[in-house]
Amino acid sequence: MLKVGIVGTGTMGRTHAAAYTKLPNAQLVGFYDADQAFAGRVAPQFGAKVFESYDALLQQVDMVDLCTPTPTHLDLVLKAVSAGKHILCEKPLGRTLEQCEQMIEATSKAGVTLMPAQVLRFFPEFKQARDLVLAGAVGKPAAIRTRRGGPYPRAVNDWYADFEQSGGPILDMVIHDFDWLRWTFGEVERVFAKALTFKKLDHIDYALITLRLKSGAIAHVEANWADPGGFKVDFEIAGDAGMIAFDSRLAMPLTVAKQDAGGGGGGVAVPESPLAEDPYTLEIQHFVDSVLAGQKPSISAEDGMKAVEIALAAIESARTGKVIRLGGGA
Amino acid sequence: MAVRIGMMSFAHMHAYSYAHWVKQLEAQGKAVLVGVADDDAQRGQQVAQHYETRFFPSYEALLDAGVDAVIICSENIKHRPLTEMAAKAGKHVLCEKPLATTKADGKAMIEICRTNGVQLMTAFPCRFSPSYIRLKQMVQDSELGEVLAIRGTNRGRNPGGWFIVPELSGGGAVIDHTVHVTDLCRDLLGSEVVEVYAEIGNGFCHGNFDDTGMLTLTFANDVFATLDSSWSRPKVFPTWGDVTLQVVGTKGLVYMDMFAQNSTLYDDLNMRITLEHWGSSIDLGLVSAFVQSVQEGKPVPITGEDGLAAAEVAFAAYESAKRGEPVKLPLPD
Repeated sequence: MLKVGIVGTGTMGRTHAAAYTKLPNAQLVGFYDADQAFAGRVAPQFGAKVFESYDALLQQVDMVDLCTPTPTHLDLVLKAVSAGKHILCEKPLGRTLEQCEQMIEATSKAGVTLMPAQVLRFFPEFKQARDLVLAGAVGKPAAIRTRRGGPYPRAVNDWYADFEQSGGPILDMVIHDFDWLRWTFGEVERVFAKALTFKKLDHIDYALITLRLKSGAIAHVEANWADPGGFKVDFEIAGDAGMIAFDSRLAMPLTVAKQDAGGGGGGVAVPESPLAEDPYTLEIQHFVDSVLAGQKPSISAEDGMKAVEIALAAIESARTGKVIRLGGGA
Repeated sequence: MAVRIGMMSFAHMHAYSYAHWVKQLEAQGKAVLVGVADDDAQRGQQVAQHYETRFFPSYEALLDAGVDAVIICSENIKHRPLTEMAAKAGKHVLCEKPLATTKADGKAMIEICRTNGVQLMTAFPCRFSPSYIRLKQMVQDSELGEVLAIRGTNRGRNPGGWFIVPELSGGGAVIDHTVHVTDLCRDLLGSEVVEVYAEIGNGFCHGNFDDTGMLTLTFANDVFATLDSSWSRPKVFPTWGDVTLQVVGTKGLVYMDMFAQNSTLYDDLNMRITLEHWGSSIDLGLVSAFVQSVQEGKPVPITGEDGLAAAEVAFAAYESAKRGEPVKLPLPD
């Protein structure tokens, strides 16, 4: 039985909390959040307590799950390492490569496990697409497109809107796609990107990123925080023997429209895609099982850093207008 | 008076659609399909018979047959010599895209039409899509606020034939599929492309021609756009390809899938699934606009300069891929 502490009680902290309550081999002990009052309202929903400090939490758990804004990760990771605790850390692993390097160095010295929560690897549509690609279903991939986004995200202190904290949609959101692209198609050779990030618009950000992979394939990634029409994800993998296409709008087994949903035209249809095993639970189960078995989880801290490296290269390209070539291989 | 039209070459498959619509305009008394000339005499004779018009054994003979205007659908590299012949004979020209395969050719075409007092129109039928016209109206009415970014695609299949012979086409997918969406962006923004970056590949067909193109365009007004010009549609794809534009503005976002007006045909007889398009014909809009401009002696809505500006983006894309860095426009002459 692994005793778990969650840091951060925002959307992701609560999502992770729900997952731990489903696992037979993990026990959610409690939360820590700088906003104690909010944490006090969240914790009872999961039968867990609120700790007054991060240090107090660390004393009572075997692992921590970090669901806080990106720039806080380094400090939280280093303290967990000092306390000898394992760490599941939300993506992006760090705000800078140096932060990621420090985390990797500290965790490997201390022999504790650090896994970045690149949850896309547990989304069945993305996992299946990778399996199909590796099985040769589309032949050799030549052109890959991904798209992710919707309305501008709102969170505590509006921290997403602070580029210095969040890195905008390139670092905060399409890091998912960068990790999946690396995992599925291999390393990135060079990056060219355009973004609205540096225009400092009011809660609108958008980026279009082109990657050349070492395999020769070309990938196009859309990062969209400018679509009031709702969150959407799609991808397309075109190869020399076929194509896989996924569109979240078309993969909705349920659509509900309610008469009393308000508005002059009645309710807006809301689609749902329920799964017996949600991706967050699968991710957390994998981490818990790995730690208890003394095995390395399938996603390494280095993977987390590589994804950050691609994202930072895209941001650098968007800022400078230059092509950014990446360094080493896997 | 009906505008008398001759068709120069059916090498490009769009010629069949244009001929079809000229015949429809003929039925309305607006145009006459005078005849066809083609390097490939057999093909020329067949299409002449199909469209119930005359076959001329040479382009000169067609130009001597009292035509007012010509539609050129040859291989890309022949656009210039055929345009020069037509212009010298005093005929207005509707030329298939891309206008030219080099900047020098495009400029020469524009110049010879100007000096001979004939009009040169580039065949960009997407401008006549009702969905595009509606989208443009939304932008002009500021419904989206200030336009910030555009994501475009014009994907298709490898058309084969002369399209994949660079000596005849001037390239591959990038020269074939860059110009439509580039033209729409220029028209929508009223701004010129000032920089192009391109990743180009041949990962679908592994030939000596490009079949993959991912372009990033920057406009003078600071709007950026990407354009996927790849021949990435599989052989079993249910339709030929697409033209899509997603326009991001300060007040909202609009997504256009120009050819989405389809029903799906599940065809057991041929063991295939196809999308059956029922949307308005954009080629009719193109041909009608050309005929009307010639008839009324007014400027064509899409000029040779428009055609060259869009083609120049494709030239710049090839240059960018060669250099591995963004390329500034305009390119040197």
